[in-house]
Amino acid sequence: MSESSIANLEIHLGRLLNAGVFASATLLAAGLFLWEATPWHRSGGALLTTGLVILMATPILRVLVSVVEYWRMRDWFFVATTLVVLAVLFTTVATALAVRAAA
Amino acid sequence: MILAVIAAGAVAGCLGSLLGIGGGVFLVPFLNAGLGLQFKTAAAVSLMTVIATSSAVSAHTAGRQLNLRLGMLLEIASTAGGLMAGILFWYISDSVLTVLFAIVTAGIAVLMLTRLEKRNVLEANADIGRLGGRFFEEESGREVAYRVRRLPVGMLASLLAGAISGTLGLGGGILKVPILNAWCGVPLRAAAATSALMIGVTAVSSVPIQYAHGYIDPPLAAAAVLGVLAGSRAGFWFGGRARAKWLKLLMAVILAAVSVFYFRRSL
Repeated sequence: MSESSIANLEIHLGRLLNAGVFASATLLAAGLFLWEATPWHRSGGALLTTGLVILMATPILRVLVSVVEYWRMRDWFFVATTLVVLAVLFTTVATALAVRAAA
Repeated sequence: MILAVIAAGAVAGCLGSLLGIGGGVFLVPFLNAGLGLQFKTAAAVSLMTVIATSSAVSAHTAGRQLNLRLGMLLEIASTAGGLMAGILFWYISDSVLTVLFAIVTAGIAVLMLTRLEKRNVLEANADIGRLGGRFFEEESGREVAYRVRRLPVGMLASLLAGAISGTLGLGGGILKVPILNAWCGVPLRAAAATSALMIGVTAVSSVPIQYAHGYIDPPLAAAAVLGVLAGSRAGFWFGGRARAKWLKLLMAVILAAVSVFYFRRSL
């Protein structure tokens, strides 16, 4: 693994984060506007939820992409590292889904 | 209410980026004491904004001061702390969280005043080991390198920062950055950039659980996130102009006042 491929990975991940923030901020702004302007309509709420879910999904996606990229660089130590982080995040999401199902 | 939350987010985001920390430490008391939201609601909403600032800042530092490998390794500890906090959050009472918040803000105020910066840099061609890094240092106008030392200390600090982040709605960078800088051999800029990346993933290790418990009101969270994003942009813009020294002092005083307020409230 060369240093330039690491720098490339970081730049790719930076773009991904940027796109995630942009998409979620757009949805949140539109959702908030609809929520305030047309409180009787449900589309505002749906946009807000989608925006928040995208916001939460962006860092998870970043970790997922890193696993794939480190795999391609055959850097097994960091494949293992990112997989452990991913496992913790999946435990979180699973716990959240269980809480929701119980509620 | 929505407009007040947007404004609170903007102020917190601006102060946060001026000081190089997340705005959570200002946003939580704004929402809780200022606007009367429940402490847990304020903390959960603040964590949402932490994700946004983390992603926005990291998109900016990627390929420069950011140390992705070190960040990934420390994230194991910080997400584990965050997950524990996320699970325990529901069981901890508001009054315990209030005391904890008072203690942590007092600690941050002290840290802010005593924070010493270690340069920690080596020649650019030095051996940096598996986790070290190189970046272009603007102050000296050349490329510098560093080695990571005492990794277990960094891991422990990250675990603690993750747990604090998930329970109090702060990013936790204020704890990690000085430790990485003082004990682990990481230059301040690299530590701050790496921490900024980590706090997003750390927040995500607890926020979905709080969301599922219903602590996050979507319109309020949206307002806070949009406010913080706008505010931190403005902070970057001011950042080049304002001298940080007096600002740090002012913020330390505000934080000390917040701490006293929460201590008295918890009595």
